[in-house]
Amino acid sequence: MKRTSFMLVSLLVLASLLLASCGPKTEEATEAATQAATEAATEAATEAAAFEPMVVEAPNCDYGGEFLRIEAVDEYTVRFTLCYPDPAFPSKIAFSAFAIQPREWLEANGGSGELLTHPIGTGPYMVQEWVRGEQLVFTRFDGYWGEKALTPTLVFRWSTESAQRVLELQAGTVDGIDNPGPDDFAVIRSDPNLQLINRPALNIFYIGMNNTYPPFDDERVRQAIAMSIDRQRIVDQFYPEGSEVATHFTPCSIPNGCVGLPWYDFDPEAGRALLAEAGYPNGFDTKLFYRDVVRGYLPQVSNVAQDIQAQLLANLNIRAEIVVMESGAFLDAADSGQLDGLHLLGWGADYPDQTNFLDYHFGAGASAQFGEKFPDIVDNLRAAAQLASDEERAPYYEAANNAIRQHVPMIPVAHGGSAVAFKASVQGAHSSPLGNENFSVMQIPGQDVFVWMQNAEPISLFCADETDGESLRACEQVTESLLAFEIGGTAVKPSLAERCEANEDLTVWTCYLRQGVQFHDGSLLDANDVVASYVLQWDAASPLHVGNTGAFTYFSSLFGAFLNADQ
Amino acid sequence: MSKETSKNKVAKLDAEGLSLKSVSLWQIMWRRLFKRKSALVGMGILALLVFVAITADWIAPYSPTEVLIGVEDVTARQAPCIHLLGCPKDQPQHIMGIDGNVRDQFSRILHGARQSLFIGFATVTFAIVIGTVLGALGGYLGGWVDNVIMRVMDVVLAFPSLLLAIAIVTVLGPGLINALLAIGIVSIPAYARVVRASVLSVREMDYVSASKAMGGNTFHILFKRILPNALTPLIVQGTLGIATAILDAAALSFLGLGAQPPMAEWGSMLGAERNQVFTAPHLVFYPGLAIMLTVLAFNLLGDGLRDALDPRLGHVAG
Amino acid sequence: MTTYILRRILSSIPVLFGILFATFALARWIPSDPCRAILGEKATDVVCDRFIHEHGLDRPIPIQFGYYLNEIAHGDFGRSFRYGEPVSKILVERLPTTVELSFSALFVALMIGIPLGVVSAVKHNSWVDVLTMFWANIGVSMPVFWLGLMLAYVFALLLRDTPFQLPPSGRLSPGVLPTSFAKAWGWELEPGFLASVVDFLARMNILNALLSRDWDLLKDAVKHLILPSLALGTIPMALIARMTRSSMLEVLGQDYIRTARAKGLPKTKVVLKHALRNALLPLVTVIGLSLGSLLGGAVLTETVFGLNGVGRILYDAITARDYGIVQAFTAVIAIFFVALNLLVDISYAYLDPRIRLE
Repeated sequence: MKRTSFMLVSLLVLASLLLASCGPKTEEATEAATQAATEAATEAATEAAAFEPMVVEAPNCDYGGEFLRIEAVDEYTVRFTLCYPDPAFPSKIAFSAFAIQPREWLEANGGSGELLTHPIGTGPYMVQEWVRGEQLVFTRFDGYWGEKALTPTLVFRWSTESAQRVLELQAGTVDGIDNPGPDDFAVIRSDPNLQLINRPALNIFYIGMNNTYPPFDDERVRQAIAMSIDRQRIVDQFYPEGSEVATHFTPCSIPNGCVGLPWYDFDPEAGRALLAEAGYPNGFDTKLFYRDVVRGYLPQVSNVAQDIQAQLLANLNIRAEIVVMESGAFLDAADSGQLDGLHLLGWGADYPDQTNFLDYHFGAGASAQFGEKFPDIVDNLRAAAQLASDEERAPYYEAANNAIRQHVPMIPVAHGGSAVAFKASVQGAHSSPLGNENFSVMQIPGQDVFVWMQNAEPISLFCADETDGESLRACEQVTESLLAFEIGGTAVKPSLAERCEANEDLTVWTCYLRQGVQFHDGSLLDANDVVASYVLQWDAASPLHVGNTGAFTYFSSLFGAFLNADQ
Repeated sequence: MSKETSKNKVAKLDAEGLSLKSVSLWQIMWRRLFKRKSALVGMGILALLVFVAITADWIAPYSPTEVLIGVEDVTARQAPCIHLLGCPKDQPQHIMGIDGNVRDQFSRILHGARQSLFIGFATVTFAIVIGTVLGALGGYLGGWVDNVIMRVMDVVLAFPSLLLAIAIVTVLGPGLINALLAIGIVSIPAYARVVRASVLSVREMDYVSASKAMGGNTFHILFKRILPNALTPLIVQGTLGIATAILDAAALSFLGLGAQPPMAEWGSMLGAERNQVFTAPHLVFYPGLAIMLTVLAFNLLGDGLRDALDPRLGHVAG
Repeated sequence: MTTYILRRILSSIPVLFGILFATFALARWIPSDPCRAILGEKATDVVCDRFIHEHGLDRPIPIQFGYYLNEIAHGDFGRSFRYGEPVSKILVERLPTTVELSFSALFVALMIGIPLGVVSAVKHNSWVDVLTMFWANIGVSMPVFWLGLMLAYVFALLLRDTPFQLPPSGRLSPGVLPTSFAKAWGWELEPGFLASVVDFLARMNILNALLSRDWDLLKDAVKHLILPSLALGTIPMALIARMTRSSMLEVLGQDYIRTARAKGLPKTKVVLKHALRNALLPLVTVIGLSLGSLLGGAVLTETVFGLNGVGRILYDAITARDYGIVQAFTAVIAIFFVALNLLVDISYAYLDPRIRLE
């Protein structure tokens, strides 16, 4: 009996714990919000009187990152001192992961908490309400420094199924959608009530091979496969209009993207001969690894994989077994060089520069994805990255591209086009090659709400610590970076900074802030807000270096190591 | 009370019937089964499926993996073209259309029958074998062994079966065989319970006690005397279980966790083309229909078997 | 009765413990590194090492389990790795969708299944009976995801621009922002347990619309719920129809019904008043079991209809290796299941005294 009652009590305890845990702990957040609001109000008063410039610097460049020093020179001037020359710096700081938020707001939330759902930016829209799982509602910010948003209310919805997005658009319940399925392109085009806008293909889909595993250690085998895949057929069958067969790894719209010889012509006979010469007249058994994840560069994953499998068998008698892996495990295995067959992967541009494509994959710091590195590729890339102008860099990239064609670490297949679709009545409709459509310039005359439907719900709205395009696009309506990409393009234009200037060797960049820019909480932008927003990401020892997951992935992939990362 | 005794009587009769003159009992069952129209329909569909599965290589107009690009003038996801229904004679006939990889959907559907039957029988056999061993051990030995086994079964049953199967496949890695294992594991408790119940119901009966008294070996008694009793409910449960297994395996494949391309499996065919439901509905409609018919066949047969093998229900289900 | 209930509760404790262990073990056995699954493909190795360390994923598994138990004992289900939020908060956000869907599916199943079963029992062996049972058999054989897709195809595309058009996804039309019934009633709530209960209830759109008398919201919510409920409710509907029919047949054949008929009571009255009430007893089990399979089916229904419920997020979390969510959600679902089974058993014992003596 004693035991029985003990068990009963423990069960009750368990039940009550269960109930207690269901209460979300929101008290801190609200407290923080009110605190921040009062601080913001006092800031405006005190700021003008005494501006104390923020300075953070690394002891030296040994920690492995790009920044040496980030400082507020005066109220409206910020200076970045770099460890090495970086011609792509303006493109990088235009990226939306480096948006500026008020220093007080960042500090009040400890670099996380309310920041994840309620960013305070300078953008044309501010977050009104995020009904998790349902929709994200923005309202127009009337104090915006630039052209005010045309539609008072903007709504984001999402659905992972492209068929559903198209249907919602056809039904008229949404005004614009992202990524209609390739088969829906014709449907949308033929509908007079709808418009389809292609999104330029700033990406690459490739078939990767690791040169440390036989038979891929033989250059002739890799070349044979390169000649024997009918890439035109893949693009024709499985890619939407606006896609191109890749002539080079990097798309041509990126400066120096496609200098050098174009890729091999489809010639299965030459391929067979070469394979026989390498000692495989009857083909061989291998594996074809991929992850079942739809990306702009690979809109129909399983279909493409099956077609490549069929082509390998038909053209070279290579028997490839399909192995579908979970996304994270796949990337991990690829990066650590564990995939001993062919693998299907791609890359989308973070910023429009060759370094983002070639260096990341084939440069000195690249992963073991393709096995041993090729010195002639690495050397040319290193030389090009030190130079400031596209003309100076061109010959090196030409040599690098030719070396890639020679060694075939991978086979570039396609630059996948995607599209956005809108109601025909939408004015200002556009697509962006970087996926950051700007809704403040869109409107349906006479309509107060604009509804956009994308692939997925944002994960959080603190985009310093997010990487997926769905989160970034939501952030881009609310927050702004020092520089920006022109609407619907990749050219860098002024934003919060009126201009950024470099010294001669491209190691010191000075940005001059626009004056009188207002945040959504009413406070004014100054240089310390910029420094704080950067240092939060850069300094791993900062109490604000929290974010959503604490990874700050884009910062580390664009600017290298964090300061104090070992602490 | 009266129910219980009559059940025991039935069990006893069954047991004796099986061990003494089992042929006649099967004959009775068959006769009863053939009287039921629904069971007949089920058997009819099943016979057709088995026929298709065996002869798929010969009756299918194309290989299920043959890509028709450059072979015929067809494009991906082309709608069905049936000459009898007015499709121009100069176009190649594809009665269920062309799939996303430019293959003949009809041939793939035919070959899919193999996969589904294999899935159904393999998982249920696996689950029955393991479930019988566990249930028989638990029921016969009793005590803590029984307790542990049944509590573990309770834990398995505490999860919605599909969710548990998803979790297990993620651990094992996606693939048809792993999906089979997952569904098999999830369905073990049903069989373990059935076997345990019938073991319990006959354990204390006279002829078992007699075998024991005569110094019979434990396992001998278990396999010769007790388990045949569980056969009837196992057959019924197993047939219905095949239906569930096929449905669950299709669901796993639909979610991309089961059969991997280019295998012609209905669930994965459907899952792969689910985004084209509005532009190419035939790619979703036919595999789904095939799954439904197969599951229906096993359900009808299972119901018929249950009625035929359970004399108590005879007058009710008529 | 009390001893029976106590005994049943006690015997579920080891099962509960087993569930906690099983969910934990399952989550850890999932191969691969959760880091890139969560932080994105561009995460560097240094970043990943830190992430793994911060989440304690580099510790031995038994020690991790110890930490986990300790957290649960403190009522903390942990955080989602991916969303950086307490799992309990996500549960409050996602569970209402699934609960609403499950209940409306069950409602559909009962409202259609019981009458069908009664009619086919009363008209035993007529063409109505044959047809109903034929459809019931097809119903149990229906792949939920296929039915969902087909319903969406018919009602959203084929019937477009007709009054029967129904939305293919989502819970509400875009821009419809429901206000909580608490607000409509003028309640001011301090954040805390009560507020999250109210929040939980308010997220069930139909309940919220009824409580706050927002008829437009009700209409919109119901319109969005019809297709998913039909898809999800079909299998239980068929089961319920079959169950009702067979137990009706059994009851109708019994002496007291015959006596009642012989006494000259009208047939409808006998059927509805005497027979149905007794025939519905076994339905308790079916409903209990259905709620379970509904949760499993919810994964598929939510996928097909783009609903962000528990099933969907659990599937996403499993594929994205979000251990925090996988552990906590499977545990909660399983505990809910055990409680449900307990309830079914107890109500059965209450209805049928023989069981208690077992």
